[in-house]
Amino acid sequence: MTAPALRRDRRRWTWGVGALVVLAWSLAGAGVFSGEVLNPAGLAQFGRFAAGAVHPALDADLLAVLARAALVTVAYAALGAGLALALGALGAVAVARTTWGRRRLGWALTRGALAVPRGLHEAVWGLLLVNVLGLDPWVGVLAIGIPYGAVTAKVFADLVDEVPRGSHDALRAAGATRTTAVVYGLLPAASGGLLSYAFYRVECAVRSAVVLGLIGAGGLGYELLLSFSSLRWPQVWTAVYAIAGLCLLADVAGRSVRRRVASPAPAAAGVLRRDPVVTGAVLGTVALIGWSAWYLALDAATLVGPRAREQLGYVLGAAWPPATDGDLLRRVLVLSVDTVQMSVVAIAVALAGSVALAGLAAHPGPGASTGRRAAGVVVRLALVLLRAVPPPVWALVLLFVFLPGVLPGALALGVYTLGVLGRLTAEATESLDPRPRAALTALGARPAGAWLVGTAPRAVGPVLAFALYRWEVAIRDATLVGLLGAGGIGVLLSAEISSFNWPAVATVLAAMVLLTWAVDLVSARAREAVR
Amino acid sequence: MDLTVRAGERVAVVGASGAGKSTLLAVANGSVVPTAGRVQVLGTDPAGLTGAALRRLRARVGTVHQHLELVGPLRVVHNVNAGRLGRWSAGRAAWSLVRPQGVEEVVAALDRVGLADRVYDRTERLSGGQQQRVALARVLVQRPELVLADEPASALDPALADTALELLGELAADTGGALVVCLHDPALALRHCDRVVGLAAGRVVLDAPATELTLPALEAFYGVTR
Repeated sequence: MTAPALRRDRRRWTWGVGALVVLAWSLAGAGVFSGEVLNPAGLAQFGRFAAGAVHPALDADLLAVLARAALVTVAYAALGAGLALALGALGAVAVARTTWGRRRLGWALTRGALAVPRGLHEAVWGLLLVNVLGLDPWVGVLAIGIPYGAVTAKVFADLVDEVPRGSHDALRAAGATRTTAVVYGLLPAASGGLLSYAFYRVECAVRSAVVLGLIGAGGLGYELLLSFSSLRWPQVWTAVYAIAGLCLLADVAGRSVRRRVASPAPAAAGVLRRDPVVTGAVLGTVALIGWSAWYLALDAATLVGPRAREQLGYVLGAAWPPATDGDLLRRVLVLSVDTVQMSVVAIAVALAGSVALAGLAAHPGPGASTGRRAAGVVVRLALVLLRAVPPPVWALVLLFVFLPGVLPGALALGVYTLGVLGRLTAEATESLDPRPRAALTALGARPAGAWLVGTAPRAVGPVLAFALYRWEVAIRDATLVGLLGAGGIGVLLSAEISSFNWPAVATVLAAMVLLTWAVDLVSARAREAVR
Repeated sequence: MDLTVRAGERVAVVGASGAGKSTLLAVANGSVVPTAGRVQVLGTDPAGLTGAALRRLRARVGTVHQHLELVGPLRVVHNVNAGRLGRWSAGRAAWSLVRPQGVEEVVAALDRVGLADRVYDRTERLSGGQQQRVALARVLVQRPELVLADEPASALDPALADTALELLGELAADTGGALVVCLHDPALALRHCDRVVGLAAGRVVLDAPATELTLPALEAFYGVTR
C-alpha cells in the first residue's frame, strides 16, 4: 500500500497565487488599506439623491421629453448595430481562417489590425469623432458601429471557422467554387450562431447608446446628465428608471429571440416553416434601422463632405507624431496602472458577490420551500437592476460618497458586473447534472457539504472563465468611468481632448489599445489554465 | 411489493431493464419517497424524519449508483472521502478540499480495489472501470450498515467483478448489516449472494435462496423477463 505524494497542479497554483497578489496590490492601489476614500460631506447630498428613488418626477412634460430621448437612444442603437453587423460581415471575410487557408501571416496581420478599433471604448470613439464630424448624428452611429463592427467581425469569423469542414471540403472536391462551398457547406451550420450573436449585439447597442448620451450624444443618457448636473434628483431617478427599463426590455427581448434561434420549435414533416417570432424580429430590426436613419436625419453627404475630410486630415496631421515627453509618459503609466487596478477590484467584487449569491440566484429544483423561491426571485430581480443601470451611472452615484479615485470607479464597475456575472454563475450551477450532489445528500451529507463537494468543484472552471471574460470587458469600461471623472486613464484622455492636445491624445489612445490587448492576452492564458 | 431484508443477508436483485431495480434502491436509501405504502430502513421510516435525524439515518446507508455520480473535476481522494460527509462538519468538508483528511483510510480502501496509486488523480481522467472502483472505495470508507449497489461490476473484468462483490459482501458482514445488489450477470448473483429476488414490472416474481437456484434456471428467468 504505497500512496503517491500529493502533487499540486503547478500552473493552476501559479495563476491562483498570482491572481491573489495582483488583487492585494490592486486593493492597496485603490486605497482600501490606507488613505481616505469616503467623502462624508457627500452623505447629505446622497441622502437627498436616494430619497428621490421613491418619488421620481412624473410630470407630463418630463415624460414627453424622456419618451423622445428614448426614441433617439433606440435610433442610435439600431443604426450603430446595423452598421456594426454590415462591417462585421465584411470584416469576417477578411479575418476568417477560411479565407486565408494556410497563409498564417496574412491572417495574423488582419486579426491584429482589429485590435485597434476593438481596444477603444465606444465613448472614446464618440469623443474623437465629435472633433472630426462636429455635432452630427453620425458621431453616435459610428462610435457604436466601429468598435462593435470589429468585435462582430472577429466573432463571425470564429463561428464560421469552428464549423466542421467535412461538407465544405466535399463540395470543393465535387468542383464547387470557394464561395459556393462556403455558402452551402459552412454558412448553414453557422447561421444559428450568427443570427443569435447579431441579436446580442443589438441588445448591447442599446446600453452603448445610453452611455454615449452621457458624453453628450443626445438621448436618455444626455437627459440624465442634464438633470444630474442641475441636481434635480427626482428627474434623475425618472431617467434612471427609463434607462433601466429600456435596457431590461432589450435584454429580455434579445434573450427570448436568441433562445428561439438556439432551439427552434419542431415543425410538421414536409412543411417549410419559419419561426414567425424570429422572422418578425429580423424584419422588425431592418425596419427599425430604416426608420432610425430617417428619425436622426442621417445624411451621407456629411460623412464624405469637404469639412469632414479637412478636419480629419487636420486631426491626423496634428496627432502625428505622438507625444513622447517623459512627463506625459509617466502620467500615462501611473494612470494605466490605476485603470488595471480598477478593473481587477471590480472583477473581484463581482466574483465574490456572484459566488455568495449563486446558491440563491439559481432556480431551485422542484420541492423547494416557498421562502427559498421568494428569495430566488428577489435576488434575480436585484441582479437585473444592477445590470440594467450602465456603469457610468453607478459611478456618478458612488461619487457622492467616495472621493474621486480608483475605488468609486472600481465599485461602479463591480456592481454592474455583479449583475451580469451573478446571472452567468447561477446559470452555470443550474446547468450542472444534479445527481452527484444528490448522491452525497443520499449518504447523509449536510447541504453545505454536498454543495461544496458535489456542485462547487464542477462550477469553478466555467465561472472563472466567465469572470476572466468580464475582466476584458471591465478594462474597456474602466476607461469610460474615467471619462466621467472616476479616476484612471479616461480622466487624462478627456483632459487632453478638451485642450486639443492631439499628440498627447494619440499617446493615450495607444496606451489604451496596448492595455486592452495585454489584458485580453493574460485573460486568454488564464482561461486555458482553469479549463 | 412486499420485501423484507434481514441483517446479514446478501440479496441479489435481478430483472430486465425497467423492472424497478434502481427505484427499489432509491426508495431504500431515501432519495425517492414512495407515493403509496410504507418503508422501514434500518428500523425507521425515512419519510418521517427531517434534518439531522434524516442525515444520521442516511449516513448508515451506502449506495454505489449505477451511473456512479462521482464529481469529475475532483481528485480521487476527495471522491472517496465524500463517503464520510455524513459524519463531517461543513468546515471539515471544506478544509479537506484544501488538505485531504484521513488519507490513510482512503488509500487503504483504494488499495482493496487496486487503485492506491491513483489517489491524487483527477477522477474524470480515469477509465470507466477505474471510476467504478472509486465509487466502491467511497462506500468502503463510509462503512454503512445497509449496502446498496446498482450494477457495481458492469464495467469490470470478470476477476475484478468477483473482487468487487466480495468486498461489498465483506463490508456488510463487517458492519453487521445487509447487502442488496442489482446484477445483470446470473453467475455473479449465484456466487456472491445467498438470496435472489426477481423483479418484473415493479413486482416480486421470484424470491428464493441462491442454493435452490441453478445457473440454467436463473438464466431462463432472465430470458423470460427480457
